[in-house]
Amino acid sequence: MKPIIEFVHVVKEYGVGEGVFRALDDVSFVIQEGEFVVILGPSGAGKSTVLNLLGGMDRASSGEIRIKDQNIAGYSEQQLTEYRAKNVGFVFQFYNLIPTLTAWENVALTKEISGESLDADEVLASVGLAPHRNQFPSQLSGGEQQRVAIARAICKNPAMLLCDEPTGALDSETGTAILTLLQKLSREEGKTVIIVTHNSSLAKAADKVISIRNGKVHSVEIHEEPLAVSEVRE
Amino acid sequence: MMLLRKMLRDMRRGKMQFVSIFLMSFLGVFIYTGIGGEWYGLQKAADNFYQETHFADAWLYGQGFSEKDAEAVRKINGVTRVEPRLSLKTIGEQFDNKPVITLLVTENPMISKPKRIRGDSFSSAEDGVWISDRFAEAKGLQPGDSLTLSYEGKAFTKMIRGTVMSPEYVSSSASGDLTPNFNNFGYAYLPAASLPISGELPATELLLDTERTDSVRLEAEIADALGGTYSVFLPRSRFESYTQFQNEVQQHRAMGSVFPLAFLAIALLTILTTMTRMVNLQRIQIGTLKAIGFSRRRILQHYVSYGFWLSLVGALLGTLLGPLTLPRLFYPSMSAYYTLPRWGAAQSPLFYGMAVMTVLAATLTTYLACRELLQGTTAEALRPKAPRAVRRGWLEKVLLRRNAGFNTRWNVRDMSRSRIRSLMAVVGVLSCTALLVCAFGMRDSVNDVKTWQYEEINRFATRLTVEEKATSEQIAAAQEAVNGEAIMESPVELRVKGVKSSGLASITDQVTLIGGTDASRHEMKFPADGISISYKLANKLNVQSGDEVEWHLYGQEEWTSSTISAIYRTPVAQGITMSRTYYEQQGYDFRPTSLLTAEQAGGTFPGIASLWAKSDLIAGWDKMTDSMYIMVYLLIFFAVLLALVVLYHLGLLFFTEKERELATLKVIGFSSNRIRGLLLTQNIWLSLLGILLGIPTGIGLLAMMIKTAGDSFDMMIVIQARSYLFSVFLTLIVSVTVNRMFSGKIRNVDMVGSLKGVD
Repeated sequence: MKPIIEFVHVVKEYGVGEGVFRALDDVSFVIQEGEFVVILGPSGAGKSTVLNLLGGMDRASSGEIRIKDQNIAGYSEQQLTEYRAKNVGFVFQFYNLIPTLTAWENVALTKEISGESLDADEVLASVGLAPHRNQFPSQLSGGEQQRVAIARAICKNPAMLLCDEPTGALDSETGTAILTLLQKLSREEGKTVIIVTHNSSLAKAADKVISIRNGKVHSVEIHEEPLAVSEVRE
Repeated sequence: MMLLRKMLRDMRRGKMQFVSIFLMSFLGVFIYTGIGGEWYGLQKAADNFYQETHFADAWLYGQGFSEKDAEAVRKINGVTRVEPRLSLKTIGEQFDNKPVITLLVTENPMISKPKRIRGDSFSSAEDGVWISDRFAEAKGLQPGDSLTLSYEGKAFTKMIRGTVMSPEYVSSSASGDLTPNFNNFGYAYLPAASLPISGELPATELLLDTERTDSVRLEAEIADALGGTYSVFLPRSRFESYTQFQNEVQQHRAMGSVFPLAFLAIALLTILTTMTRMVNLQRIQIGTLKAIGFSRRRILQHYVSYGFWLSLVGALLGTLLGPLTLPRLFYPSMSAYYTLPRWGAAQSPLFYGMAVMTVLAATLTTYLACRELLQGTTAEALRPKAPRAVRRGWLEKVLLRRNAGFNTRWNVRDMSRSRIRSLMAVVGVLSCTALLVCAFGMRDSVNDVKTWQYEEINRFATRLTVEEKATSEQIAAAQEAVNGEAIMESPVELRVKGVKSSGLASITDQVTLIGGTDASRHEMKFPADGISISYKLANKLNVQSGDEVEWHLYGQEEWTSSTISAIYRTPVAQGITMSRTYYEQQGYDFRPTSLLTAEQAGGTFPGIASLWAKSDLIAGWDKMTDSMYIMVYLLIFFAVLLALVVLYHLGLLFFTEKERELATLKVIGFSSNRIRGLLLTQNIWLSLLGILLGIPTGIGLLAMMIKTAGDSFDMMIVIQARSYLFSVFLTLIVSVTVNRMFSGKIRNVDMVGSLKGVD
């Protein structure tokens, strides 16, 4: 296994009024290819900032963010757009599907931006949504919408899946199913899956748990034999 | 109080949206009251003038009316007053250009009283003349100066007692002029006692004051009373100075009524969309207010007050500023054409009505947008609203092919989902294009009249106006000297099955310098036999080639019946034309009133009153069309402003509604340019649809405006390809410019913030 993501002394500061707020303070960690990672921390700890930097939605104040040996911290806006298009699949708490596109169209949307995208029908089938391909988001349940979002994220065949509280808006049973799907993607298809959450119950199912507190890495736990999602969530 | 603060802060936060509500209601009322104040001011000024001077209700013209005749007319039921007047065409001998000055000799005018401007008021007890103010102004004459006039070769000099304005000369020009040049004509009032004759005034006109409106019956009764010894009876509705001014006012009125409606409609749509969006965005806040314990009424009042205050301020400002500003643009060029003692905008109660209506409509629209608040429980309001369902609408079935790209799909569905917003964009662009097509078309059509009148019809280089007293030897000599062609022009009265109309008769003596154009503007030859009638007059009288028409020139008492042998079309002077031979066959004498020549004639000739180079006539025409150009520029300005405001407003609306979606696309990896292209696509589709619908609307608008131009003016709708191009181009530029204004916003979409939660 080789590292796919390396955070090296990353600092992120925001100007707040006249002062400066340091959201991330010298954060360093490594994520290997194919790992199922949980980034854990209470609200305001800085985990969302990590996700934003990883996703190329924001720029670090200092430090290096190496993705497949490329330092994206110095990327231009255009390079970042391309980076997002090729490398990152996002899954959000509120799905963020395009309401005017059907399930299939939401997934096929990735063809517009990435030449290496997979077949939308196959991907939809793999998340168990083939029968719903022609429905609009508003006609689907929350769990189904999140599956479409996952399908959309994996369809462009990205290097990593970034999931921000992916079960935050779902009931427990549906949430478990979604997480099982994500874990399966990591184990069976070798995808790097990073889940950002404040819910520590998922920790035991992860290959690696990075805890963030007050803008610093509090601890990094590695599980040699992680449990199945269904075992940790009851 | 707190809610008021909330309103003010909300307005500050959503500046542009609220500015557009304010701006649209301001513009609607501003244009309405601006143009309205202009025409209403004209109407009022004229009405006051007419009333103050006791403007005649009807005129009788003849060879000579005795006091007995006047008495006979006075006895007719409904005729309240009759005044005899002698009208003489005299020449102003002290001026180089020898202008024709109409001398009006009268006892003590109570009808069509001359209004004093400078010097003394008219008084029949004094010796002297009261001359027209515009003429005095043009010639630099003051009360106290002397004026030498000649009539039939006899000159006489009188002191100018004062200057006056007559209600009969509001719109008037010298016979050779298309547009008034006050250097070339004037009128002067002379008390009958000053006339060097004794006994009864040999009147040529009778001025009537009557309440009767049935002019046909009235004329029959007058004809009866006078035993037919009169030439022409003219009710006000056929008195040219009067009708021309009324037509002008009507034209301004028509323009001033259509355009504000477009603005008002868009203002209301703006309010509807802004408030709907606002209420949706503030859903949770509204729930909170409810939970705190505000009554629905209070909350509703709070939101409705947004629309109310903004439209109130806009409408008030519009009502105040409109009449103060826009009329000033028109009056200078209007006063070059018309003569009124006072020029000023007027406030009509209608304007306040319009302002109140705007505010009411705006408030009602706001209420409709917020009505939803009345329904549902507090708990419901505190939850985010369920997303609106998307279904495959008819639009999709019509427009979407199976293999349509993402751009197409997204836009088609987005438009069918936001129908009001799309409709509004189409209406905004449509109005813009329509106004532009109408404005450019008006310019083209008026320019076309110039080509038509001065190139296709009038081919002479110089026109010589023959003096009334000129002898036939003098005319022949002048004609010989300039190698001219003779033409006789006179006002004519026509009658078809009892319906009367007046116009201009041209009797031509082998004239080659005046071309004829038929109904579809192709060149035609006037037939030698019978009379030809102008297209617009033929339509008005409902006659065709082959029909019989009765006519007589002013001054002739007998009617002549002729067959229409052709119909010709002419822009400015509607009437009939015939050959000299035919005219003489009917037993009349041909007496030229003008000579036309292809030469650049100059100098003076005995018997010739004035010389007109064609370039002078064209310059006069250009001056007359000045006020029309102001209207054209105003239209273009407001059209562009309208489109800018509407499209910018829609852009904002779109942007706030779609920010989350745009953020998602951006996060997925769409570049800012790509997203801008996505929005541009929709922008262009809606713009194109608006343009397609706007072009015929513009043509219709133009046709409607041309129709109000009056009976004597025939204009064809001419819109050059260039004008269509300009209109479309200008509209598209506005559309793309607005799109560009948003590119910065797209670049700065907050990906992180807008994806976090549902707000």
